Amino acid sequence: MHDMTAATIGEAVRARDPREETRSFDAARCRAAAKQIRQYTLQMSLVAGPHGAHAGGAMSMVEILSVLYLEVLRYDVKNPTWELRDRFILSKGHGAPSLYAALCLAGFLEEKELLTFKANETRLYGHPSIDLSMGVEFSSGSLGQGLSLGVGTALALRLRNNDTSRVFALLGDGECNEGSVWEAAMSASHFGLTNLVAIIDRNGMQYDGFTAPVMNTGDLAAKWQSFGWTVREVDGHDVTAVHDALTTPIAGQAGPLAIVAHTIRGKGVSFMENARVWHHSRLTQAMYDQAMAEQEASTDESGGSKGP
Amino acid sequence: MIAYTRASTRSWSMLGSSGSFGLAAMELPELSSNVAILTADLSFFSGLDRFRAKYPERLINVGIAEQNMLGVAAGMAKEGHKVFATTYATFASARTCDQVRVNMGYMQFDIKLVGLAAGLSVGILGPTHMSIEDIAVMRAIPNITVVSPADCTATVKATLAAAAHKGPMYLRLSGVQNNPTVYSADFDFIIGKAIKLREGDDIAIIATGTMVYAALEAAKLLAERQITCSVVDMHTIKPLDEAAVKETLGARLLVTIEEHSVHGGLGGAVAECLALTPRKPPHLVLGMTDTFHHPADYHFLLEKNGLTPKQLAASIATAYDEVKAA
Amino acid sequence: MTNLEKYTKAFVDSFDIPPSALAGLVYQAIPSWDSVGHMGLMAVLEEAFGITLEIDDVIDFSSFERGQELLKKYGVEF
Repeated sequence: MHDMTAATIGEAVRARDPREETRSFDAARCRAAAKQIRQYTLQMSLVAGPHGAHAGGAMSMVEILSVLYLEVLRYDVKNPTWELRDRFILSKGHGAPSLYAALCLAGFLEEKELLTFKANETRLYGHPSIDLSMGVEFSSGSLGQGLSLGVGTALALRLRNNDTSRVFALLGDGECNEGSVWEAAMSASHFGLTNLVAIIDRNGMQYDGFTAPVMNTGDLAAKWQSFGWTVREVDGHDVTAVHDALTTPIAGQAGPLAIVAHTIRGKGVSFMENARVWHHSRLTQAMYDQAMAEQEASTDESGGSKGP
Repeated sequence: MIAYTRASTRSWSMLGSSGSFGLAAMELPELSSNVAILTADLSFFSGLDRFRAKYPERLINVGIAEQNMLGVAAGMAKEGHKVFATTYATFASARTCDQVRVNMGYMQFDIKLVGLAAGLSVGILGPTHMSIEDIAVMRAIPNITVVSPADCTATVKATLAAAAHKGPMYLRLSGVQNNPTVYSADFDFIIGKAIKLREGDDIAIIATGTMVYAALEAAKLLAERQITCSVVDMHTIKPLDEAAVKETLGARLLVTIEEHSVHGGLGGAVAECLALTPRKPPHLVLGMTDTFHHPADYHFLLEKNGLTPKQLAASIATAYDEVKAA
Repeated sequence: MTNLEKYTKAFVDSFDIPPSALAGLVYQAIPSWDSVGHMGLMAVLEEAFGITLEIDDVIDFSSFERGQELLKKYGVEF
């Protein structure tokens, strides 16, 4: 378990029958995948060079992605438009680097393609671009729009009597400044969309700094609840807690589910954690070396702590 | 007081247009006691950190909420504040379009809407961050002045001019760090009055924003082929300096160049201006192609759109040959 | 003026600090050496030494000492 490589994780994921109804949760493998995603994200940030990368926001959502792509989402890499697949929407599109890393582990992308991140005319640019063959359901980058796409998708699935597929939208907490998020939230609850899950990566930061002094979102859990959502709050870096929140049935569920995941922006890299500039900044070779050394030394299986 | 020396214009060029705007903004509270600058979680990107440090009560951050920003700007403008609202050009024209239309166009609140990173400058982030059509959108809404400064010196001048101007305005800032300099010293920047930068009889070039420098370079390349070009900096696209446009009627070919779609921007404005004129030269509209390009760095994208000086000179020369042959 | 004097003067004038504060000074250590101040310093140095700095060097110019190393590329000896 401790020597899980990207290859073995990927194999295990791809060997899984996407049609199986129940799976046993493998927390250690999720944590190993999270660590791999962190390292891929650092590699991509390095190759981006002077263009810089949104590394901070990519790092805070790593455990969420590892749980989703290893344990929760139904998908079939050999049949990416499989009707019964779950749909994942990265509304906070700038988190693209760690999404690409997760898609690599899932088998949608080759490891070597990750190194084309931000190259001219690459498929893997700073925001995800709609490409079902790659596992990307929608383009994003203009914040506040992903949840509406989720509402529409969820409605369409229901109209087609697809009771199997679920829709997952991952938002940022700064992104919740956008009014369009709340239009979508109101409508999701109004339409009783039990097949829609919003995950809010609550890392407490946005471009100009911490959310509280910039535009205080206050008690986000209470806000989602008041909009008619079932709300679960978790430590967003605890794969077991995230998994439980995503999979535990809701008694008498009549509407959508919101998971407020408390996270640290830049998690896993000491100089990125809670640092304002790491919404988007340039990762130099020296910084990369330091970050990777921290990952190697980390006693946290997810690569989440700052090391000994 | 801002000094327009070689060193200062050079430092602004290295900073880029957002940083130059932030520098000019430092002068605004001296000129007007009720200035307020609004940002939608981009104060550091907009070069406003010095402004915020010195005038914290005058910088209002609404978070990632551009539509709210416009409404807030309108409420403050109505109460007599001199308001600058700032965000990416894409969001300024697309995300907030309805609020712009209602508050700036219809109710004519005195808001200066600053569109940062216009055109292709953050094209590396993809189509959601490439502003292809913002001039077309703003131009079509009544009552909004549309200004696109040629370089960072002009950005500073335009910001100060905007503060002195009464009425809603869209200020489109383009280019990246190390933005080439057109104006290395102080000059008269008058909203609505184009600036002729080069004389020439064969071809008349009207350009705006970053394409003014590109046009000047293209003109030099064409001069090597004994083709003379005049170059006009049309920094104010609306109201268009129609007299300056009509001065080009003697040329054999008229060219407009913009880091904006070929549809509805400067090219469209000039074509509309000359529509009823019976005798006029053929008009070559050069700008961004009508497509969403794959993301790439700024210079790659300029080349992809045929907007480097070399490519512009080639396109113009080809059109000129066709005109002469016809 | 020697090159070092010109170099020191550029910092002193750009950031309004005494020469004694310069040894070991790094970018963003003082409020006036922010991105705006940095470009101002670059322009002053270009004029003082009659050079044009490459953008990569502008970005790499992270301290009083690093700047001296970088300027050697442009034939400025200290």
